[in-house]
Amino acid sequence: MKVVAQFEIPYYQCLNESSTAIGELPKFAQDPKQLLHLYRLMVLIRIFDSKAIALQRTGKLGTYPSTRGQEAMFVGLGAGLAKEDIFVPYYRDFGTLIQRGAKLSDFLLYWGGDERGNSFGKNNHDFPFSVPVGSQPLHAAGIATALKIHKQPHAVAVVCGEGGTSEGDFYEAMNVAGVWKLPVVFVVNNNQWAISVPRSAQSSAQTIAQKAIAAGFSGEQVDGNDVIAVRYRVEEAMKKARENHEPTLLEIVCYRQSDHTTADDARRYEPEGIREQEWTKEPIGRLKKYLEDNQFWDAEKEQQLQTECAAEVDVAVAEYINTKPQAPESMFDNLYASLPEIYLEQREDVKHKEVPVHG
Amino acid sequence: MAEITLVEALTQAMAYEMRVDSAVILLGEDIGKDGGVFRATLGLLDKFGPERVRDTPLAESMIAGLAIGMAAYGLKPVAEFQFMGFIYPALDQIINHAARIRNRTRGRLSCPVVFRAPYGAGIRAPEHHSESTEAMFAHTPGLRVVIPSSPKRAYGLLLAAIRDPDPVIFLEPSRLYRWAKQEVPDDGEALPLDVCFTLRQGTDVTLVTWGAMVKETLAVADKLSKEGISAEVIDVATIKPLDMNTILESVEKTGRCVIIHEAPRTCGVGADISAQIAERGLMFLKAPVQRVTGYDTIVPYARLERYYIPSEQQILNAINNVMEFA
Amino acid sequence: MKIFNLPDLGEGLADAEIREWHVKEGDVVAVDQPLVCMETAKAVVEVPSPQAGRIKKLYGAVNDVIDTGAPLVEFEGEHEKTGAEPRKDGGSVVGSLEESSQRLEETDIIIGSSKQKTAAGVKAMPAVRALAKQLNVDLSLVQATGPHGQITAEDVKKLAAGANKNPVVGQAEKLHGVRRAMAMAMTQSHQEVVPVTIIEDADLSNLPANSDLTACFIKAIVTGIEAEPALNAWYDGKTMERRLFAEMNIGLAMDTPEGLFVPVIKNAANTSAADLRKTIDTFKQTVKSRTVSPSDLQGATITLSNFGMIAGRYATPIVVPPMVAILGCGKIRDVVVARNGNMEIRRIAPLSLTFDHRAVTGGEATRFLAAVIKSLEQTC
Repeated sequence: MKVVAQFEIPYYQCLNESSTAIGELPKFAQDPKQLLHLYRLMVLIRIFDSKAIALQRTGKLGTYPSTRGQEAMFVGLGAGLAKEDIFVPYYRDFGTLIQRGAKLSDFLLYWGGDERGNSFGKNNHDFPFSVPVGSQPLHAAGIATALKIHKQPHAVAVVCGEGGTSEGDFYEAMNVAGVWKLPVVFVVNNNQWAISVPRSAQSSAQTIAQKAIAAGFSGEQVDGNDVIAVRYRVEEAMKKARENHEPTLLEIVCYRQSDHTTADDARRYEPEGIREQEWTKEPIGRLKKYLEDNQFWDAEKEQQLQTECAAEVDVAVAEYINTKPQAPESMFDNLYASLPEIYLEQREDVKHKEVPVHG
Repeated sequence: MAEITLVEALTQAMAYEMRVDSAVILLGEDIGKDGGVFRATLGLLDKFGPERVRDTPLAESMIAGLAIGMAAYGLKPVAEFQFMGFIYPALDQIINHAARIRNRTRGRLSCPVVFRAPYGAGIRAPEHHSESTEAMFAHTPGLRVVIPSSPKRAYGLLLAAIRDPDPVIFLEPSRLYRWAKQEVPDDGEALPLDVCFTLRQGTDVTLVTWGAMVKETLAVADKLSKEGISAEVIDVATIKPLDMNTILESVEKTGRCVIIHEAPRTCGVGADISAQIAERGLMFLKAPVQRVTGYDTIVPYARLERYYIPSEQQILNAINNVMEFA
Repeated sequence: MKIFNLPDLGEGLADAEIREWHVKEGDVVAVDQPLVCMETAKAVVEVPSPQAGRIKKLYGAVNDVIDTGAPLVEFEGEHEKTGAEPRKDGGSVVGSLEESSQRLEETDIIIGSSKQKTAAGVKAMPAVRALAKQLNVDLSLVQATGPHGQITAEDVKKLAAGANKNPVVGQAEKLHGVRRAMAMAMTQSHQEVVPVTIIEDADLSNLPANSDLTACFIKAIVTGIEAEPALNAWYDGKTMERRLFAEMNIGLAMDTPEGLFVPVIKNAANTSAADLRKTIDTFKQTVKSRTVSPSDLQGATITLSNFGMIAGRYATPIVVPPMVAILGCGKIRDVVVARNGNMEIRRIAPLSLTFDHRAVTGGEATRFLAAVIKSLEQTC
C-alpha cells in the first residue's frame, strides 16, 4: 500500500484573540491609515446593521439578515478585491458591496422590497444578491470563464455560507473551476449556523476548506474575526487567480452573533452561552484594542466615529424612507429588453388596478 | 375541540400518520429542532426522534433524491422544501425519477413520496419566496399536485397524500397558513384526492379556484349574494389529476365560468380548464370562460406585491362580464 | 409618533412581561437606545427606542404584562398614535404572515359537484346563440333537433320563420285570471290525483226528441250518486280524509273566450228539470258577462263536462281536487249498433268517467257509471 495523495489545510491569523500581532503583519497592516480605514468600515457596518434591525422591528423594513459579528469577513473581503475584479455576493454582503460603489440606501431598498436596491450604483459587473442558496458559485465560474476568454487580467470572488457548500451547484462550480483553471476565489462565510442547522450537522468534513482538495486546488481556513488576516488572504488568493488562473477556497471562520434573519429566533436552537463566549473574539473589539494599544485610537476618536457613522446611516435611512415605491407597471418594464406587444394589455390593466391599502 | 390554523392542521396530520405508520419519515431543512421555518413540523422531533424527523444539510436536489431512494425501499418520506422557489434544483429528481420510476419498472418499484412546500405570494417576503408554478408540475405525467385551502382540507388532503402510493407535490399557500382557524378533529380521516370540493352552491356563475385565492373568491361570492347573484364556488384542491366532471356539471347548471388563480396567466392551469370546458361544455355556455390570474411577470418585491395578486375587484369585474354578456 | 406600542417581539407573540426599565419618565433618549427589557414566552428581548425624544410616560411597571400592540412608552409631543406596527411574523424565516383570530365558517362542503337538479340550461353552441340573438328568437321556445339535445341553427331559423308569419308568436305572455287559475288547478291535479278513466257509451234513443240533454245528464248523475255516494265526495291527500256529501253540487264546465268556468248547480237532486234549465241558462249569461258570483263557482262535489258540444268523442277529463270524479260527454251521434241480432241506428252518447283512485274504487266507479247510463237509457 502506498499513499497517493495527502493534503494540508493551513490556518491564518494575524492578530490573535488578545489583539497581539503574530509575527510580522502583512505590509498594508503596517500602515495605520489602512487599519483605521478597515476599522471605520466595520463600525459603520455594525451601526447600519443595528439600525436595519430596529427598522424591521418598527415595521419600516421587511425581513433582514444581520451581519453582526461577521464585519471582518465582509470588510476584509471588500478591501482585498481590486476595483476591476468582479464580486458575486450571497445576501449578507453589503459590507463588501459598499466598498464597490453600492450605497447603504440600496440595501434598505432591497430588503424594503424594491428591485432598485439591486442597482449598486455605477457598478456594472458585480452580481446582485443570490437568495437561492449556493446557486451563485456557478455564476462566478461563468464570469471567470468569460474573463479568461477575453484574456482580461481580473478575477472573480464569490461568497456563500457554509450551508451553501452542501448544495450540488457548489461542487459543480468548484469542479469546473479546478479543471478549467478559472480565475475565481470561493469565499465561504462559515459563521457556524445555517438557520438552525449547526456546522456539525452540515458536513462531517473536518474543514470546509478541504473541499477544495477534491476540486483539485488549495483551501485554507482564516480567522474570520481578524480583519487583517481576511484582507491579507483574499488579496493573495485574488492575485493567484489573476496571475496563475488558480482557484482557491477561503474558509472564513467566524460566528453568527444574531438570528438568521429578523424573523428567526435563535433561542429555539442555539445552546446557551455560546454566543457570549464567541463574542470575546469579535472583530471590532479585536482591532480596536490593537489600535488603542498602539496609540492609533482613543475614546474621543471612538465617540466621534460613532457619531459620524450614525449620521451616515441616518442619511441612508432618510433616503430610503423618502424613496417612493415604483409605479406598479414597472413590474413589466424589465421583463424583456422590450416588452412584447401581447403583454401591453396587462401592463395597462395594472396601471389602473386598485389595491387594498397595506402597511 | 381547539380551533387550529392551516399550518397547525398540517402538523396534526403529520403527527397522526407518523403515529399509525412507522414508515413515515420527515426530512427537510430546519424541520427538526426549529420545527420548520413556518413551524409546520413543530414538536415532531420531540415526539418521534431524530431518526424519523431529519434535519438535512442544505441541498434541495439531495432532499428529493434521498426521498426517492427511501420510498423505493419501504419508507414513506414526507420531504419539505423550504419554499417553492427553492424546489428548482430538485426538478431533475422529481421529473426524471419520482414521476416515472413506477412506469419504468412496470410497477416493480414505486415512489410514495410527498414533496411539501409553502407557495404563493402575499407574505411580503424577499424575492424568490412567492412562486406559484404549480402548472409546471401539473404538466408532468406521473405526479399528483394537491393544494389545500383551509385547515380542515389541509389535514384531510395531507393524510391522503401521505397514504397515496404515488408522488404528490403538496403546495401550501403561505398566506393562508395562519389566516383563520377551524375545528379540525384529529380522527385520521383523509379527504379524497382527485376530486374538487364545492364550497358554496349557486346557480348564476361557476367560480373555479384553488389555494389562497379561495379566500378572495369566497368573499366576492358572499358580496354578490347580497346583490342577487348566486355564485357556485369550486375549490379544485387536486390540480392534477383534474376532476373536470365536477366543474362541467356546475357549468352545465350555471352556463358561466370564471377561473381564478394567483399563478401567471400564460399556460396557467386555468388555460387547461378553459380548454376542457370548450371541448366538453361549450353548448352550455352563455358567455366566454374568463380567467382572473396573476400577471405574466416575475412577482414584484414586497412594495408592489399587492398589485400582482389578483384582487377582489378584478374577480368582480370578470363576473360582471359574464353576467352581462348575454 | 408619540405613543410607542409594544411591537410583536417574535412569531406573533401576544404579550410580554416587563423585566427591567432602562429609562424613566423625563429621560431624554436617543433613537435605538434600549428602552426596556421584555420577557416573552420564549426569550428576553431588548426593545429599542424608535425615535429620539423625552419620555413622558411609561405604561407599566416591572412584572406587568403588556399586550402586543398596546402602549408601552409615550414621548412628549403631539398625540398621534403611531409607533411600532405589531410584528406579524408567525414563525417564519422571511416575510410576514397575516394572523387573525378569524374563524373559518365552512358548512356543507360538498365533495364533488353540487348535483343540484335545477332546470338545465338550453344547449346551444355559441354561434347558434349569437344567431338566436340576432334573429330575436327566445331559445327556450326553440325545439331542439341537434345531437345531444342541442338546438341547431336550423332549429332557430325555423322558429324565426314561423314567428315572421305571426308576429305574436315568440312573445311571452304571463297568465292571469281564469287561465292562471286553470293552470294552477290542473298542475295541482296532476301532482296529487291518481286518475283512472272509464269509457262507455250511453244509448239516448229512448229519450224524448227535444229533451234538455244537459238536464238529463245532471239527473243521471244524481241517480248515479244515489247508487254510489262515493263519487260525490271530497278527498284530502295530505290528511287522508274523505268527506262524503249528502247534497249534490254539480259543477258544469263552460267554455268562454276567457277560459274555462265551472259554475256549480247547487243541490241538483232536489231541483226540477225546469229549474235546472233556468239555472243553466242564467249561468251561461252570467259567465259570459263575467258577472257570475264567486260563490257560484265554488263548492262543487262532482263535475260534468259536455265537451262534445264542440267536438270530441272520448276523453280523459281531469279530476280537480278536492273532488274525486268528473263525467265527460263527447259528441252525441248516430251509430250503427248490434241489437237483438239486428243492425240498428241508435243515438249514442260517448261517456268518459275519470275518478281519483285514491278515494274511489273501480267497483264504485263502474257502478256509478252503470247507474248513470241506465238513467239515460230509460228515461229523463
